[in-house]
Amino acid sequence: MIEIKNIHAKVAGGDTEILKGINLTINPGEVHAIMGPNGSGKSTLSKIIAGHPEYEVTEGEILYESNFKKTNILDLEPEERAREGIFLAFQYPVEIPGVNTSVFLRAAFNEICKHQGAEEMDTLDFDEYIRSKMKLLEMDEKFITRPVNEDFSGGEKKRNEILQMAVLNPRFAVLDETDSGLDIDSMRIVSDGVNKLKAKGNAQLVITHYQRLLNYIVPDFVHILIDGKIVKSEGKELALAVEEKGYDWLIK
Amino acid sequence: MITQTQGNNEMINNLDKAVKENSKDAPKWLEEYRSNALNRFQELGIPNVKDEEWKYTNISSIAKTSFQGAQNNEDTTLDSLKNYINEKDINIVFINGFFSKKFSTIDDSSSGISISTLQDAILSDEKKIKSLLEKYNEKETTSFVALNKALSTDGILISIEKKAVMKKLIHILHISDTQATSFTSPRTIITSEKLSEATVLESHIGLNNDQTYLANALTDIFLEENAILHYCKIQAESKKAYHLGNTRVWQERNSNFNSLSVMIGSAINRNDLDIVLNGEGINSTLNGLYMPFDKQHMDNHTCVDHRFPNCTSNQLYKGILSDASRAVFNGKIFVKDLAQQTNSYQLNKNILLGKDCRVDTKPQLEIFADDVKCTHGATIGQLNEDELFYLQTRCIPRKEAIRMLSKGFINDLLFHFEDDNVSQKIHQLLDPSLNKL
Repeated sequence: MIEIKNIHAKVAGGDTEILKGINLTINPGEVHAIMGPNGSGKSTLSKIIAGHPEYEVTEGEILYESNFKKTNILDLEPEERAREGIFLAFQYPVEIPGVNTSVFLRAAFNEICKHQGAEEMDTLDFDEYIRSKMKLLEMDEKFITRPVNEDFSGGEKKRNEILQMAVLNPRFAVLDETDSGLDIDSMRIVSDGVNKLKAKGNAQLVITHYQRLLNYIVPDFVHILIDGKIVKSEGKELALAVEEKGYDWLIK
Repeated sequence: MITQTQGNNEMINNLDKAVKENSKDAPKWLEEYRSNALNRFQELGIPNVKDEEWKYTNISSIAKTSFQGAQNNEDTTLDSLKNYINEKDINIVFINGFFSKKFSTIDDSSSGISISTLQDAILSDEKKIKSLLEKYNEKETTSFVALNKALSTDGILISIEKKAVMKKLIHILHISDTQATSFTSPRTIITSEKLSEATVLESHIGLNNDQTYLANALTDIFLEENAILHYCKIQAESKKAYHLGNTRVWQERNSNFNSLSVMIGSAINRNDLDIVLNGEGINSTLNGLYMPFDKQHMDNHTCVDHRFPNCTSNQLYKGILSDASRAVFNGKIFVKDLAQQTNSYQLNKNILLGKDCRVDTKPQLEIFADDVKCTHGATIGQLNEDELFYLQTRCIPRKEAIRMLSKGFINDLLFHFEDDNVSQKIHQLLDPSLNKL
């Protein structure tokens, strides 16, 4: 589904290379996890996949396959990538004062409808649709009448990310430290939500510091990212090894 | 003060003659009132950028243009006004400065309110109108206030009677439908008597976007004890027009003045809002919203004068600037020595979307009391890149994201009034601008 090929990247206008040749292939139906110490480039990778203008890719490509066609998504605007089914759950969801959550979600949803040539949903139908998704995440109904993420608690913001994922139903989702700031109950609810969204045709990339989340969202592959490079890739047992021994033994 | 008298007569043809003609059949005091105002205007002249009050707003293009007195337009159709007139409201319509009986819907039976043209009011209650007109000291008036006083003939007097609570919106509609480089002098007087409450919308609409004209408006508002007035001014003049507006508000004890000024149209727009808090326990809200495009210039000057203890004033002005437009905000707050326990807040926030736009913002506080809370602040910035990116990752195109965030930025002001009818009208006039972002 997605092939990340020899990606080198730095902060736009900066000199320091953050990613130093990342290679990663993810197939439909798979869940991959990326772990790594602070500053290893995990979040940078997720932002590059989504198309954040702050980063500059100096080498490599990211091929995304949909409808039997491969596109280098680095040529696409963030909104175009999103419409193609790429989703990023933010580590730090952004507060958007003055923009009502349900208005925002409906606009996002209808962009996808437009893109797929389907009829846009009106307010009433969408209201019903969103309520069903909120139930999935055990969210209070008053959420959607509030401005996006404004004055939300850390846990509420993360749930809101997964709600958006549920509404947009992406083919390829990147979850950037979705577990950070979540208490045990919220982690269970959020992970349950993510697991329910799993399907044969889609894939997930989970970025985390801790093995704990991977008890809930079980990965098929675990990759260790250190200093901008993937140094080791194995099955889910690698996460347990890291939990026990830290990252030092992986640094050659 | 500047005394530049040269060129005044160029701006308005035969100014002296026009004033004299206006007062042909007027009572002696009114004739004097106008000629005094004319003298005042001629003494002050047209301000230029050397005047501190006009430092950032250059009106030499107005001074250089030759305007003639506006003519009534009998050809204006109801169809061209239907977007602005709502049958549910009390509509007071002026076409090119002339009161239009045809389009106005003033229900005589509405109790609690009396509405009359200034001409009628002079005939029916000369004493009252004289005292209202002479409330402000001539020596303190500025150029364009004086010019309006000298030239205005038609105008409207609205009195909301004691204890009356008006459910209907009172809509004063100044329509410019002209093909000539003309000037109008809209004049409005509103008195809110004790314990009354009403909502007034004053809108200035240009029907012909390519026409240069000058609207020099003066509105006086008097709030008696415990009166509440919600007041919205929408300026949507033609894109080539000039709008100079002065609104003066006089508040007595425990009254509440709640206002919003919306600027959309005109090439150069200067709006002065002066509030005198002449009693204890007064509340004043001065909010404003401006969205200039191209080379539009929008200037808000506020002056809040706290004279007595225990009053509150709140100011929030927000602007979204595109292209090479300019905006000015100048907010004066006086807290006189008697006005202890004053709470006075002022905030001006601006978003610059264009590469060549510019904002000059200036708070001016003069505080003579020692036990007060006064804050002021100003921000000028761009839309937040992280917020834009967030919306984009949710499929929303960048252009739409800009629109969404801009709308979010002014959202609190758009729904400032409880009266949905007013919000709806603001939206209707503002939406084309929002969609242009």
